[in-house]
Amino acid sequence: MIVCVAIVGHQVGNLANNPLYIQSFTDGDDALKLHHVVHCSLDVVDERVNNPKKSGPMLNETYLGLLYPTENYKVYGYLTNTKVKFISVTTDLDVKDADVRNFFRKFHAAYVDAVSNPFHVPGKKITSKTFAERISTIVKAFGLSSAG
Amino acid sequence: MANFLAQFQTIKSSSDHIVISVEDVSGLWPTVKKGFEERLPFKRACLNNKTRNSVFVENLPAEFILTTDARLRSRFPHEQYLFWFREPYATIILVTCEDLDEFKTILKPRLKLIVQNDEREWFIVFVSRAHPSNDQATKMAKKVYSKLEVDFSSRKRERCCKLDIHSPEANFWEDLDFKIVESIRNTLDRRVQFYEDELRKLSEQRFMPVWNFCNFFILKESLAFIFEMAQLHEDALREYDELELCYSETVNVPGKQRDFGGLERGDEQAALLNSGNKPLNEIVQDDSFREFEFRQYLFACQSKLLFKLNRPYEVASRGYSFIISFSKSLTSYESILPFCMREVWVVTASLALIGATSSHYKEGLVALDVEKEFHRLEGDLYSLCRLKFMRLAYMVGYGTYLERSPVNSASLSMLPWPKPAVWPSIPPDASSEVLAKEKMILQASPRPKHFGIQRKQLPLEPSILLREANRRRASLSAGNMLEIFDGRPIDGVVSPSNKPHTAAMVRTNSIPGNFESSIDRPMRLAEIYVAAEHALRNTISNPDLLKSLSSLEEFEQKYLELTKGAADNYHRSWWKRHGVVLDGEIAAVSFGHGNFDLAAKSYEKVCALYAGEGWHDLLAEVLPNLAECQKILNDEAGYLSSCVRLLSLDKGLFLNKERQAFQSEVVRLAHSEMKQPVPLDVSSLITFSGNMGPPVKLCDGDPGTLSVNIWSGFPDDITLDSLHLTLTATFNTDEGVKALKSSTPIVLNPGKNTITLALPPQKPGSYVLGVLTGQIGKLKFRSHSFSKGGPAESDDFMSYEKPVRPILKVFNPRPLVDLTAAISSALLINEPQWIGIIVRPIDYSLKGAVLHIDTGPGLKIEESHAIEMESHTDVMDKTTMENRSLGEKNNCHSLKIEDGQVEFPDWASETNSVMWIPVRAVSDQLPRGSSSGAYSGLYLIFMYCRLMTDV
Repeated sequence: MIVCVAIVGHQVGNLANNPLYIQSFTDGDDALKLHHVVHCSLDVVDERVNNPKKSGPMLNETYLGLLYPTENYKVYGYLTNTKVKFISVTTDLDVKDADVRNFFRKFHAAYVDAVSNPFHVPGKKITSKTFAERISTIVKAFGLSSAG
Repeated sequence: MANFLAQFQTIKSSSDHIVISVEDVSGLWPTVKKGFEERLPFKRACLNNKTRNSVFVENLPAEFILTTDARLRSRFPHEQYLFWFREPYATIILVTCEDLDEFKTILKPRLKLIVQNDEREWFIVFVSRAHPSNDQATKMAKKVYSKLEVDFSSRKRERCCKLDIHSPEANFWEDLDFKIVESIRNTLDRRVQFYEDELRKLSEQRFMPVWNFCNFFILKESLAFIFEMAQLHEDALREYDELELCYSETVNVPGKQRDFGGLERGDEQAALLNSGNKPLNEIVQDDSFREFEFRQYLFACQSKLLFKLNRPYEVASRGYSFIISFSKSLTSYESILPFCMREVWVVTASLALIGATSSHYKEGLVALDVEKEFHRLEGDLYSLCRLKFMRLAYMVGYGTYLERSPVNSASLSMLPWPKPAVWPSIPPDASSEVLAKEKMILQASPRPKHFGIQRKQLPLEPSILLREANRRRASLSAGNMLEIFDGRPIDGVVSPSNKPHTAAMVRTNSIPGNFESSIDRPMRLAEIYVAAEHALRNTISNPDLLKSLSSLEEFEQKYLELTKGAADNYHRSWWKRHGVVLDGEIAAVSFGHGNFDLAAKSYEKVCALYAGEGWHDLLAEVLPNLAECQKILNDEAGYLSSCVRLLSLDKGLFLNKERQAFQSEVVRLAHSEMKQPVPLDVSSLITFSGNMGPPVKLCDGDPGTLSVNIWSGFPDDITLDSLHLTLTATFNTDEGVKALKSSTPIVLNPGKNTITLALPPQKPGSYVLGVLTGQIGKLKFRSHSFSKGGPAESDDFMSYEKPVRPILKVFNPRPLVDLTAAISSALLINEPQWIGIIVRPIDYSLKGAVLHIDTGPGLKIEESHAIEMESHTDVMDKTTMENRSLGEKNNCHSLKIEDGQVEFPDWASETNSVMWIPVRAVSDQLPRGSSSGAYSGLYLIFMYCRLMTDV
């Protein structure tokens, strides 16, 4: 189950790595801990981006793969060409890479649509309700596909 | 073969270097021993690795042992192949002979006997004792040696060398080294080949019923050991890696139930770096080994080799994965293992790994990215250990002292509770402990947040412990037994000696006295803590860990140690976010100990991190803590700035009540006894912009007024004692900045406020808004933020954007008004007449203007008539003007003249108008009524008076 998804911005002005969209999908009132998980995972993204040697053939790939395996949750990352980061936190420990890749692709498409809105200011938080609904549908669909 | 396990281990531990046997035929060893042993260890020995490539071993340790030595004698032949690694790798035959006949008759047959039918690698060292001055003896020795060479050396292989005791040839020792190493190489190759063949044969049976992993293991490890002795650690490591693979295949064969192990006292102390922890023969099970011990054993062997290869970072990296995967195995056997075995094992394993890797690690020897990676792994190990340690601490009741921070919540609330088959019960005599825990629970009230901030606390528990523990307890009725054990039979799995709290024991546990049996009712939280503590005391045998959980102080010390370790290592690995967040956790402890200075410093770092990247939700969690430290430390400037930052965060993050508290702190402090005015940047809170629409246009030297919009982010009204706003000239940097002041107090309402500032005369040019400064009490605030027509967006925090739109334009001097005479005709002398002056403002308001009229000599304003003014249109017929005579009035307004000055009426400020002035030309010479022709003596000075009014 995906418990949290986030979009983290690229440097705009002197502000970088700011959350553009973050949504948790847990019952409890504990979104903050997921903010922390997403924020910390940026360390890994930074490292991957700054060490192209290590990533090697992954360099041209938007999907960053598993960033952060812990015993109880996993963090996956995706980096667009404009250096916007997508992060997802999942509590499933057996997730197929292809599923996550597919999820991010849909997530990315939704993001592109949302920022194409002429009223959206680049670098600002995405507040569109349509976008939020779309993301929640994608997240639910992921839960079904990974369970099945 | 498995019977040899014990022996195998003893032999392995007693021999760790290559043996070279010395066959001392002529009793020469004592004489040459010193010289021989000085060659050890062999330098740059050329050996072949497993893939038969030449490898230079820098230092190859070896030992010379006489063949008569007890260590080489009395070995059973069947042991030889099994423990081949301890057999000599080379045999040196030491001989001397001074007589050719003696050589032929005695020495040669003896030597032939020694070297015949022998697979050993051998060579002969002929020692010549002849003194160089003794020609006879030297010649003889040469003769004997050449005979020896003929008999024992072949074209293929040189097997003899000669040592002159009195004057050894320069290259003898090199020759000796070469011959020894050559023999070692050959022996090594042969033995490796033999083991490989054997292993191949064995592994072909891997899927047959006869397969015995122990046999395979002994051979494989012997091979590994042979490589290790030859300092070919890389090859040895590969053998162990293969062994591990093969083992996991064996273990994972479905359908075979095996004992996992891990039930003995002391097992919870990880032995992943101690290969000698348990004799292997004790962990044999059927045809294999118990998983619990054996996997740790294999890892220990691997890490030993990796340390020898000087790759501590690889130990850390493999170790971390090993701990994670082993912890998973422990989870699947959790129901049969002692209570919290997994947590305790992970704690001890991480600590052991951290200790070993960091002591083997030398800074600066490896590439930067490897170094970063190493520290990252150490950080991960520390945080893993910290996490499990916190969980243990929670189980014994220190949970209330754990900071409910996002980082702790993220790791703890997603970590499931231990799942023992039966939750531990309270021991019979624990009533006093329960009371103590109860007291602890009551005393520990969560520290109220500063500013009275009310937040739902973040969870540290995956679910409520009370419910979880009671659910997993030995149930009241036997009907629930199956449920408890998940339907698995427990017989044979749990031995009573290892599980002190089995269901059966609990049920007989009826305690007399006032301490009621816990069986009939759910356990209370304090009881759960006490029960867990007792169970943990049974699980944990490590005195250090026991001590760390024995009291709150000890716990805190260990907690700090682990947190600091993790934070330091993350910082060194450039994982700043991980590091800084843990610094925040250390700050919380420092705060608890009254170390506010230290706490503030760390909190500042955390806040800077979150603010810099715009993570306001997280910032809102930490910033109040920083503010509290600053308040306690009397750091007024810091405290004020924290309050302002709190106010500038997303409004949704705090209740209005809380935001009001921030504001009241700002106001209170501003008006308090601050020693000196404190400067404060409020750019995020107060923003300003000019009015929408075109800029105000003024002419050079004109005063005016400027209205500015100011957005206040304060939740309540706030009174500013004074306000300054600078105007910056665009395209003219020399001009500097002009300040507009308002010294009267201004009350800012939340949201948009429009204030009007007086604008003193400015030089020509375009102006934009600069900086807003002002004062609240002793607080000097300053804002750089320009609003784009809305309130400050929290995203814009700290982003200064220069406004491009000028707010004011001051033009160069130009004619502002056009004055012309309405009539140009001759005046009659001494006759009152009207003179009209047409006033046409040129794109300029004449509001408040004053007309100065100076008639000059010979002309007098007729004071008996008022001056009149009427609006003027260009189409007005000239004849009507000319026909105008005194007393004729149509739509005229009378004006008064005083000292030659006429004040302009407001209605005429924008439009063209005609001012009629009654004048009389005075002349003594001319009679009244005579015409004087054009009189041009009327001087008009039109003056605009600068009035401080709205234009």
